[in-house]
Amino acid sequence: MAEIRIEKVSKVFNGAYAVREADLVIEDKEFLVLLGPSGCGKTTLLRAVAGLGMADAGRITIDGRDVTYLRPGDRKISMVFQSYAIFPHMTVRENIGFGLKMNGVSAAETARNVDEAAELLHIEELLDRRPSDMSGGQRQRVAVARALAMKAEVLLMDEPLSNLDALLRLEMRAELKRLLADVGATTIYVTHDQIEALSMGDRIAVMKDGVIQQVDGPSEVYAHPANRFVGSFIGNPPMNFLDGQVVQSADGVRVQVGQSSITPSPTSVSALTDFVGEGVVVGIRAENTEVLNEPRGDAVKVDVRVVEPLGSQNLLTITVGGNLMKVATHPTFETSPGADLWIRFPPEQIRWYDASSHALLVGGPD
Amino acid sequence: MTTELVSEPEAAIVEGPRRKRRQKLVPYLLIAPTLIFLALFFAYPMVQGLILAVYDDEAVLPVLDKPTIDGNQNGQLPQGSSVEILDRQGNLIEGEVTSDLLTELWFRVSSEDGAQGWAPETRIRVREESSDGTPLIGTVRTKLGAEADPLTDLFEVPNESSEVAAKVEPSVRVAIEDTATLEVWFQVRASGETADELGLVEGWAPSRFVQIFGDEVSGRIDRGTDGVFTTRFVEKMVEDRFFGPAWRTTLILMVLILPIQFVLATLMALVIHARVKANSLFLYIFSIPMGMSDLAVGILFFSIFTGNGLLNSVLEGVGILDDPKVFLSSDTRNWIIAAIVLAELWRATSIVMVIVVSGLQAIPDETLEAAELFGASYWKRVRYIMLPLLKPSLQVALILRTILAFQVFAVVIALGGGEIVTVLANETYRQYFELRNTNVASAYAVFILLMSLASAIFYLRAVRTQQETSGS
Ligand SMILES: Nc1ncnc2c1ncn2[C@@H]1O[C@H](COP(=O)(O)OP(=O)(O)O)[C@@H](O)[C@H]1O
Ligand SMILES: [Mg+2]
Repeated sequence: MAEIRIEKVSKVFNGAYAVREADLVIEDKEFLVLLGPSGCGKTTLLRAVAGLGMADAGRITIDGRDVTYLRPGDRKISMVFQSYAIFPHMTVRENIGFGLKMNGVSAAETARNVDEAAELLHIEELLDRRPSDMSGGQRQRVAVARALAMKAEVLLMDEPLSNLDALLRLEMRAELKRLLADVGATTIYVTHDQIEALSMGDRIAVMKDGVIQQVDGPSEVYAHPANRFVGSFIGNPPMNFLDGQVVQSADGVRVQVGQSSITPSPTSVSALTDFVGEGVVVGIRAENTEVLNEPRGDAVKVDVRVVEPLGSQNLLTITVGGNLMKVATHPTFETSPGADLWIRFPPEQIRWYDASSHALLVGGPD
Repeated sequence: MTTELVSEPEAAIVEGPRRKRRQKLVPYLLIAPTLIFLALFFAYPMVQGLILAVYDDEAVLPVLDKPTIDGNQNGQLPQGSSVEILDRQGNLIEGEVTSDLLTELWFRVSSEDGAQGWAPETRIRVREESSDGTPLIGTVRTKLGAEADPLTDLFEVPNESSEVAAKVEPSVRVAIEDTATLEVWFQVRASGETADELGLVEGWAPSRFVQIFGDEVSGRIDRGTDGVFTTRFVEKMVEDRFFGPAWRTTLILMVLILPIQFVLATLMALVIHARVKANSLFLYIFSIPMGMSDLAVGILFFSIFTGNGLLNSVLEGVGILDDPKVFLSSDTRNWIIAAIVLAELWRATSIVMVIVVSGLQAIPDETLEAAELFGASYWKRVRYIMLPLLKPSLQVALILRTILAFQVFAVVIALGGGEIVTVLANETYRQYFELRNTNVASAYAVFILLMSLASAIFYLRAVRTQQETSGS
């Protein structure tokens, strides 16, 4: 059992919050991805958990034990560093066995663990080589093997794939996912790559400016972003946001976007009623719109600006009531810039956001 | 049309490598001036200086079969050998004097009572000269010595072996009618070196290299014109009674200073690297000695150890001593050594520290954090991570400090005067300035150079083999 609880943890650098009152619970054997743009405080939060940069406020417990101010060596954790931080003067074998040696594990057990970790990462034939003449991918494997050899119940990883080239990263992503599922350690995995986060995490914690924005499973984070930031950070293309106006019409509450009006789903009507006469933000993902060649029902007429065939889909850039947005169509759908087009917003696919706070109004995950 | 099509790609192929080669030329263009600079201002003077240790450029004088510069060599006489003077000849020089031979000036004189002839300048004192310096009137000099003939010979021609034309009394006024310049040669005989064997050598030598004794028949070779390689100066250095002590003391100082220095420097560097509060202040304080000349440091420590210096004041103040103790005197050799060790530690530890600090800064933070995270305590991090990664820096510092230790000088002079405690550099100085023996001084310099080279090679090899053995 190794549950990590992060309670109201803050860290200040030069008077500015790098992490602000972060609350996070990572369950035993869970794989949590800490996702956010560069500089948002992911590393800072991870280092607080590791003990390399102690929290200024708050509490961190691992398996019920308060480790907030414990030395890193005493936390029973293991870590893969962004730069790998391999010891250049040691062989791969010495590198992998370093933590065990420091913790007084017997030579026999160390050798067994080292061999096991090396086998997991397919670097048995590198064991007696030095890191100086190894490729980035090989060093990365050594760094992971060194972390796994510790057999710690908590594994921390800081952007372990970010220094690899694109192809290797893709390969390693799948391998790491399988490997870490087998190992079953409670893992915090830091990345700024939303695809990596979506593809690997049991849950994703999205951070921005030191504040955790949303913690949910990959599909919830994708489908029900808790605010505009999460919606635009996750997904490619980002979620579309249109400025709308809530109006009370004869047939109920409607949202006016430019010349057209959208009918909200029955479940969101009650929430939107409070905003009659005020602005609201309509959020919808590119692939959730219906694109039509002719007007139909409540479809909205739009201008096509750009057409980008991407193979698996066509991406159209269109304008609706002064807002630019992107919609995806089937690759066989034919249109061209300047052509007439109508799109329909399926009410159940629309997320409503507060115009000022940008927070999700209704339609969050169940 | 077809030929054009074919030739086009060919031209491209030819152009490709040529352009590449031109790019590679740039480093060589930069290297060339560097090499010329090194050769002119470093290698050439250094070799010139160091060669003095094994080369005597005035060692032998060639003697010739006839008293002219184009005579054939009969053999060589070493500098300083005693010679018999067999004959003497003055060759008349027409025109300008160009050779580096010793010359003699002769005057053709005539006295009022009709005596006429040639006499050397040594016998005639010039009394009047024309405006352009030509001698006009002179008087005959008085001969010194009781048994000498008081009359001065006037010769037929400007040569002492020619007929005597007349004799004149001392102090007689003479008119100087003509002058002649002679180059003087001596025919000498001594045991020396002929072309293929050692033996008696006889031949003519230019006068300026031969010293004539008063009896006019014996002399010695003053100096030679040809150089030979010799171990004479090296032997002289080794046999010098200060060589042993100087060499021993230099080594003792090195053995006493370097280990302490490296431990201290590493500790100081660790303090600065630990990013404790005010660590830059530490860096500045530790760096102060680097800005002081070694002589100044020597004098500073002299003032500490002197009779009413700081050390005595403190020791008296706390009641350990009743009277000031004399630390630096001829019978407190060990105290002088101790003072030198302290001064050198104070002076030169910071340079080692700076090298170690830069070595520590080159270790990435994440590497040390990884070690900490995997459970290494501070001292284990020092031992397993920092020291191994510092090896190249320590090696550089060790080479630098060992070379400097072979050259230790000013501190030793300031604290010991250079007599009771002497070192190699001091002996070089002494040979050069006090004993004016450039060659032996050079021999010392060469010795210091060789020791420095040997130590550098030793350190480089020692570290490399260590890496090789642990490598595979
Ligand atoms: N040691 C430090 N000293 C000062 N500021 C720091 C330090 N480490 C991080 N920061 C600041 O804290 C913020 C968060 O940094 P970091 O956690 O490294 O971001 P991320 O890992 O998400 O890219 C950044 O603005 C960064 O400049
Ligand atoms: Mg980071």
